[in-house]
Amino acid sequence: MKTLKYILPLLVLFLAACSGGKVDRSIVPQPGPAPQISIGDYETFSLGNGLRVIVVNNDKLPRVSYQLTIDRDPIMEGNKAGYVSMAGDLLSAGTAGKTKAQIDQEIDFMGASLSTFSTGMYGACLTKHSDNLLSLMQEMLMSPAFPEDELEKLRKQTLSGLASSKSSADDISRNISNAICYGLDHPYGEQQTEKTTEAISRDDLIGYYQDYFKPNLAYLVIVGDISMEQAKSQAEKYFGGWEAGQAPQHAYDKPTPPRGNRVAFVPLSGAVQSVIDINHPVDMTPGHPDAIAASVMNNILGGGVFGGRLMQNLREDKAFTYGARSSTSPDPVIGSFNAYASVRNEVTDSSVTEFLYEIERLTRERVADTTLRFIKNYMNGSFARSLESPQTIARFALNIERYDLPKDYYATYLTKLEAVTTDDVLRVAQRYLKPNNLNITVVGNKEEVAESLAKFAKSGEVEFFDIYGGEYIDLEAAPEGMTAQNVFDAYYAAIGGKENLAKVNSIIEEGSMGVSGMSLAYNRKVKGTDQMVMTVAMGGQTMMKQVIDGDRGSSSQMGQSIAMTEEEISEAKMQLDMLAYDHLADYGMSAVLKGIDTDDNGQRMYVVDLMKGEETSSTQYYSVDTGLLVSTVSTEETPQGGMTVASMIEEYKEFSGIQFPVKVSQVVGPQVIEVTLDNVSVNKRISNSEFKVD
Amino acid sequence: MRRILSLAFAGIFGLLATTSQAQMREIEFEEYDLKNGLHVILHEDHSTPIVAVTVMYHVGSKNEDPSRTGMAHFFEHLLFEGSENMGRGEFSRYVENAGGVLNANTSNDRTFYYEVLPSNQLELGLWLESERMLHAKVENEGIETQREVVKEEKRQRVDNQPYGRLLEETMKRAYVEHPYKWTTIGSMDHLNAAKEEEFVDFYKTFYVPNNAVLSIAGDINIDEAKEMIKKYFSAIPKGTAEIPRPSMDEPMKTAEVRDTILGKDQLPLVLQAYHIPAQGEPDFYSVDMLNTLLSQGGSSRLNRAVVEEKQLALFCGAFSFPLEDPGLTLAFSMANMGVDPAEVEAAMNEEIERVKNELISEEELQKLKNQVENGFVSSNSSVAGIAESLANYHMYYGDANLINNEIDRYQAVTREDIQKAAQKYYSENNRVVLYFLFDEEAANATEN
Repeated sequence: MKTLKYILPLLVLFLAACSGGKVDRSIVPQPGPAPQISIGDYETFSLGNGLRVIVVNNDKLPRVSYQLTIDRDPIMEGNKAGYVSMAGDLLSAGTAGKTKAQIDQEIDFMGASLSTFSTGMYGACLTKHSDNLLSLMQEMLMSPAFPEDELEKLRKQTLSGLASSKSSADDISRNISNAICYGLDHPYGEQQTEKTTEAISRDDLIGYYQDYFKPNLAYLVIVGDISMEQAKSQAEKYFGGWEAGQAPQHAYDKPTPPRGNRVAFVPLSGAVQSVIDINHPVDMTPGHPDAIAASVMNNILGGGVFGGRLMQNLREDKAFTYGARSSTSPDPVIGSFNAYASVRNEVTDSSVTEFLYEIERLTRERVADTTLRFIKNYMNGSFARSLESPQTIARFALNIERYDLPKDYYATYLTKLEAVTTDDVLRVAQRYLKPNNLNITVVGNKEEVAESLAKFAKSGEVEFFDIYGGEYIDLEAAPEGMTAQNVFDAYYAAIGGKENLAKVNSIIEEGSMGVSGMSLAYNRKVKGTDQMVMTVAMGGQTMMKQVIDGDRGSSSQMGQSIAMTEEEISEAKMQLDMLAYDHLADYGMSAVLKGIDTDDNGQRMYVVDLMKGEETSSTQYYSVDTGLLVSTVSTEETPQGGMTVASMIEEYKEFSGIQFPVKVSQVVGPQVIEVTLDNVSVNKRISNSEFKVD
Repeated sequence: MRRILSLAFAGIFGLLATTSQAQMREIEFEEYDLKNGLHVILHEDHSTPIVAVTVMYHVGSKNEDPSRTGMAHFFEHLLFEGSENMGRGEFSRYVENAGGVLNANTSNDRTFYYEVLPSNQLELGLWLESERMLHAKVENEGIETQREVVKEEKRQRVDNQPYGRLLEETMKRAYVEHPYKWTTIGSMDHLNAAKEEEFVDFYKTFYVPNNAVLSIAGDINIDEAKEMIKKYFSAIPKGTAEIPRPSMDEPMKTAEVRDTILGKDQLPLVLQAYHIPAQGEPDFYSVDMLNTLLSQGGSSRLNRAVVEEKQLALFCGAFSFPLEDPGLTLAFSMANMGVDPAEVEAAMNEEIERVKNELISEEELQKLKNQVENGFVSSNSSVAGIAESLANYHMYYGDANLINNEIDRYQAVTREDIQKAAQKYYSENNRVVLYFLFDEEAANATEN
């Protein structure tokens, strides 16, 4: 027996080794008993000023975070788009008592992080620094200084950032998908551009801060190594003195899906991939009874799961992409559905075909029970994993308070998930997915890709946009070394030469004007470069009259006369000056040759922007072949907002050796005005008394 | 006014007074080797019913044949294709069906695979990883698909990304000998040329237990976990092929390398890459602290001078690549629109020279230590992160306990160390300087 005593351990090892070798690897291990998933607790209380506080205690790490959220309606920023986010950024760029440099120094000295944004601020630090961090947050919240020089610095950085986005396919895709999905006239779709950034003033930022930073609109979420008692005393100490007040509220029309599929394309030169985003707005609020079923439906299509249909189809089966996914996002104002991937140029249209197939299939076919089980398992696990972070508990609590969800919304989440059936998935797919009303947005290589996408649009045409969702102007480069002045010189040569033009002292134009089927008599007299009278009459009665007498000017309509502003007079005089392009600077103008455009008839035209400072006042198109001016497009300010005015010169005719435009049509909004000249007399005597301003 | 000032001072003193080290929770773990050489690390934490199962293989792009670059990263894709006991695409299906997530990533030095699962699915995770280690499917069908997927990954993450070629352009100039000269994504031509046998050979060489660390963290019972690990991993044979590891040292640079790269990015980017010692060397920590001084937080030197005061740049950064062999530290600035990159570089150099010439203040050193402390405390907040850190510390330093005490190495860095690091490594002859500039023609060229 003695020997056995020594052998026994060896024997055990030997047996263990054998059993190790005998593992049947073809058997997939089964899970042990399911672990209990419990959601951590949170507590809430309110301060006297209406600030609602949520506290999640978790002492695993000696850290604490403070998140302040202003719950306000989305804001339409219009021609100053970007000011709201700048106001948020500048909250941390100086207070009544501290410069930005001092603030940065204090944050870094704690090793903390603290950032501010338009809807609040977030700070995190080791617990031992929490009072210092809060005192900084309090200063930013109560007495931000919005220093002018910090605004200018941020403006410069923002403009640089916008410039850098011009070559980022992903940034452009985000712009265009929002612009098309929600529309440029919705807060979620409007675009910050160089122009809107330039227009932002310090008063805009202060106004925003004063209007919306109110405790009765706000939540303070405290997470980490902190007791309820400490949280209460800190909230009262640092935020108790914040004054309540009314904030403006806003409501918006709900954006709707397009009538049929449309294709919106943003050209990006040199792109080796197309960034595809297929979307439409979805009317679903957070916590909506369909939200969990819709989330299951989205995961089947292409949520986080690798086994999603889009990923399996476009990546694993066809190798079109590194990744294809989708999202269905509820939102209190308007939610959205998006499906997206970056794919190589030559398979862009094939990829869109697969996207459309998978989206449509969900609305048509009931998913298999095994598919539903798979997705539920995945979502179950995701939920459990998310609970590792105490911030998740805080997010749940904030959602419950903010969106007025039942208190047990998350505690019963897994039960609700389990209750979703294949019928539910089909029902929500049919209700929320619009396979025939999709915005198909693509950022990519125009030459290699765009044409192949026309077949997906109901209109049969690809719509082109610039990077901000505006009209896309595609130009070829002008010949090397060519300038706007060369274009003007060619134009002067084409209409009769500068020498002839210089000899013009007066012009009398007689003709007619057609507006909405009516024909009116048109008459215009010009003397020198500073006197002009134009009349439009019907049946001998003057309907409209414009006069410039050298210094002053007036416009009258049906006898009502209005004096012209200095700017209008200067602009009008420039029109009278036949050689104005030789000395644009005298009119405060400059010109830039943008390139060559080709119209639908194949006519090639030089495109010249006339600039007033940094602004384009009008864009002119000159025929490359003849040198003649073909059309002019400008944006005029009207009481109804900016309006595009396009003038097309359809015919020139020679009088006294000079080519005059004798047929011009002007498109102003829905109106078309046609001016036809029957006769032009050059250098006839005109009395000064004709140019009398009333 | 006086009141505000005194309050501000009180704030600073308050901070100085509370710089004692935060009470950190020690990360406890057990580690041991299987007979086949597989190193196992286990960390038990029951706060959430999940477990991270991870395997780190000591193979990265630096182990590649110079005519087959991209292989290591390619394998990261290929090893999701299945094994003798599971079909194509089933690997991820098993994990997701169990409610888990999975992914992997590849660096110059190692390849890392992980699953985060509900804790009752630990055995599934071990089975999957052991299948991957023992007999993964390395076959043509998967190879062909993943070749295309990797090409799309390159287009998406390199070619179609702002400054996407930055690393490639930097590494190929900084290194002339060492395999760090190519990037992990590698060459598509090389991958096209590689034959099925080469893939099999790569697998047999590097994907062996004696070249791997199995690191598990989460809601586990250590004894049960050990049993399961024995069951699935002990029978995997030890690798027999010699594992190629680059032995050459990159020769010291004797002159600055300077170049301009034209591309589609609108804003000029100025980059300086300096050679530094391998991670874990004492000087590495000094350089890291120097980089913290230069670019971490709003008050950092480069940010304050170049972004805030001179307003020449949109963003400045300085950080080291933690590499196993002597690596690089990068300092870079993305210039504001219309700013001359030479002016940006001069402003960066001014700040670097200032560190070389003037000792930083005690207060500034304390700030750096506080920043490092905060980062260190915050870094161990997820079981997946803990599992990866433990594996890293073991693989590179042979000391997993650095997860608890590497901070001491940072705290030991003195003001003089930082100054010396600047003088020794941030020198002209030791660097590559690149200007990335916009060019219309380069922007329009479609590169493939």
